[in-house]
Amino acid sequence: MKTHRPSGRRRSGAALLAAVLLLSGCGGAGDGTEAEAGVALLRYAAVGTPATATNDPHGGVGNESDSLRFGLVYDVLAVPGEDGETELRLASSIEPVDEELVEWTVRLRPDAVFSDGSPVRAADVLFSLRRIEDKAAENFGRLGMFDFSASEVVDEHTLTVVARKPYAEVPRALESVTFVVPEGSDDFTEPVIGSGPFTLVEGGAESAVLERNDDWWGPAPELERVEISAVADPRARAQAVIAGQADVAGSVDPATVREVEGDDWQVVRRPSVTMYPFVMRLDTEPFDDPDVREAFRLAVDRDKLVETVFLGYGQVGNDLIAPADPSSPETAQRERDLERARELLEEAGHGDGLEVVLHTTTSYPGMDTAATLYAEQLAEAGVTVEVRTDPPDTYWTDVFAQESFYTGFYGGIPFTDVATVALLSDAPTNETAWRRPEWDEGFDEALATADQEKRTALLGGLQEELRDEGGYVVWGTGDGLDLAAPNVAGLPDGPGFDKMFIDQVRLAD
Amino acid sequence: MRVVAVAVRASVVLVAVSIMVFAATELLPSDAAAVRAGGGATPDELARMRSEAGLDDPAAQRYLRWLAAMATGDTGTSLVSGRPVAALVEARAGATLALAGAALAVAVPLTALMAWAAGAAPRRVRAGAAGAVAGLAAVPQAAFAAGLVAVFSAALGWLPPVSLVAAGGSPLDRPETLVLPALALAVPAAAYGAGLLGGAVADALAAPHVADAVLRGVPRRRVAARHVLPFLLAPAVRVLATVAGSLLVATAVVETVFGYAGLGELLVSAVATRDVPVVQAVAMLSATVVVGGLAAADAAAALTDPRSGVPA
Repeated sequence: MKTHRPSGRRRSGAALLAAVLLLSGCGGAGDGTEAEAGVALLRYAAVGTPATATNDPHGGVGNESDSLRFGLVYDVLAVPGEDGETELRLASSIEPVDEELVEWTVRLRPDAVFSDGSPVRAADVLFSLRRIEDKAAENFGRLGMFDFSASEVVDEHTLTVVARKPYAEVPRALESVTFVVPEGSDDFTEPVIGSGPFTLVEGGAESAVLERNDDWWGPAPELERVEISAVADPRARAQAVIAGQADVAGSVDPATVREVEGDDWQVVRRPSVTMYPFVMRLDTEPFDDPDVREAFRLAVDRDKLVETVFLGYGQVGNDLIAPADPSSPETAQRERDLERARELLEEAGHGDGLEVVLHTTTSYPGMDTAATLYAEQLAEAGVTVEVRTDPPDTYWTDVFAQESFYTGFYGGIPFTDVATVALLSDAPTNETAWRRPEWDEGFDEALATADQEKRTALLGGLQEELRDEGGYVVWGTGDGLDLAAPNVAGLPDGPGFDKMFIDQVRLAD
Repeated sequence: MRVVAVAVRASVVLVAVSIMVFAATELLPSDAAAVRAGGGATPDELARMRSEAGLDDPAAQRYLRWLAAMATGDTGTSLVSGRPVAALVEARAGATLALAGAALAVAVPLTALMAWAAGAAPRRVRAGAAGAVAGLAAVPQAAFAAGLVAVFSAALGWLPPVSLVAAGGSPLDRPETLVLPALALAVPAAAYGAGLLGGAVADALAAPHVADAVLRGVPRRRVAARHVLPFLLAPAVRVLATVAGSLLVATAVVETVFGYAGLGELLVSAVATRDVPVVQAVAMLSATVVVGGLAAADAAAALTDPRSGVPA
């Protein structure tokens, strides 16, 4: 039995498919010249998922697409400069009132204005700082060293900020995250104006179009327009640059970089951005025994991990928790010593074997590989490791800072921040249960030391103690990898928050 | 009366869906407050965040609060970013509409073609076609998308491997970026739809009055128009609604793979962050499309069923 109807349908269906394919053929894959003629436009595909994209610069800011936008729209008091020095932005000076280093005077440049024309005043700055403090639960208490209720406005462009204890690193603490919004802004369901080098003209969280703010006090950006798209998938970000749909792809994975390196794309390497240390809890067996921790540090084959996990885009670690920090001490590289590791385990009473569970997840590329490989390396020292891969959705609430042995993450933050978040006895996520009153006192003492050289030495000593006796196995750090079209110049290549500030990026002809 | 009955039934189904989606997100471990804190908050701070977001109320109470707000058209605010849910959905609905529209434009004729091949083609073609349709329908969208990219992008270089929607632009600015995601959505969905429709085609053709008409010498075109197509309208609309639904569901995978800023990507990330109001809004939108389509199919069946006796 046949009818004629379907064959007619078939023809039209086939024609439609052909038309669609033809249409697409016209566009071509390398069609990247979308810019209006003559406009210096940078299209940035940044890490970000729509559900976490936010207009609020003072909370968690988990999306790089958001932090990039905030870095363009808002002024901050200071940014990270060369060699760990602080480079002032909205602040014209940050100086202690006296030798006690508790009260600090922050002077603002007088010529900063919000995009509605109103001047940026000390009151706006203090309001913003207090708002960041209010959201401590979401931003890891990043400004927890300050007591902003005791801080006050001195005059239109001057304020005093008060630290809870003597704190010599105040300029550094005020870097990057201190986005300034107009006083009284409390509704962030819609974007709030700023005084930065660019203004938001369209979109907002997830996808934003920004144009140069010609009233900005700073060096005029060469870029006239920046378009930021939040793209969750790292491969899709990289492919966007390769297909000409974006000029820069932020934080792409090493595998993609290895595939395309040597072609026409430039790879920006930001050193020491990714760290997956193995975390051991000092208050739990068997890691309460220092010999076991040392054995676990001696059993690791660092070169092999860096080569396998970061595909060589990284540096071997020396168990120092903040290797990119200027205060990180210079010490001899710890090498693999299986024999000594076995000896130590035997002395610790594990001569006939030791069984542990190592947790890991897939939140960041290579975390699971790192754990699997380390398990093999530990096996050579006589330790039986069961690797448990937990879902990324719950890892940071159920495993992180809870389990006794797991794969952690640090994103290249300074040592003082690591200490505040994870090392002081009362730190909110003291994941290694590192509780040493003398160490805490040493930290306070270092931060009460005005002389920078002496302070660096004291901080270095604390890090060395942690390296030898603490609960971290820092086997290496991975580079942050950005992929960019060949004509993009001046992309930030420093660690940590440096990558947020792209206002001085240029386009070569 | 019939319209009212259909509407009531549709609403009941939608409420049932909303309860199921709510219960499913409820069963997932962790919640939005914990996600926001990212492990960096003390238990006290966490408790405060939960109570501010109303997350410490019993699940039933939270659901009813959501339902009551929904009834007044208030979709609420995201528990994670604090942005209004309506704005989140609105910002992406256009992109998904464009993609789903393109996918449907391919899927509808393709479903018809494949259903014919599987249900009405000559016997020797039919078995092979049915197998191919079932096989295609079984390919996961992600694998299918990867295959398309490998062939049309990597090997042939005809089409872009990603589909970024330019900031401040529309997906239609670069129609070529829609092709691969649309095909990745359309082909498996069409195969699924054809699997359902193929049987109906075969049944309609096998009906005694069709054979009778052919024997009476009625021209084939007329047999098709009078005696076959009307019987296929209701199942076709039903299948269309199902295909549209499975398309929308599949956007979750396909949009993420292609970096396409649509509702599917929003749903995936909202589930990951336990952002219940956002999950509910997107899920209800998809459910409404499917339930609305099925209701339309019921109406079409009532109007076209020659046996129902209900006047058109």
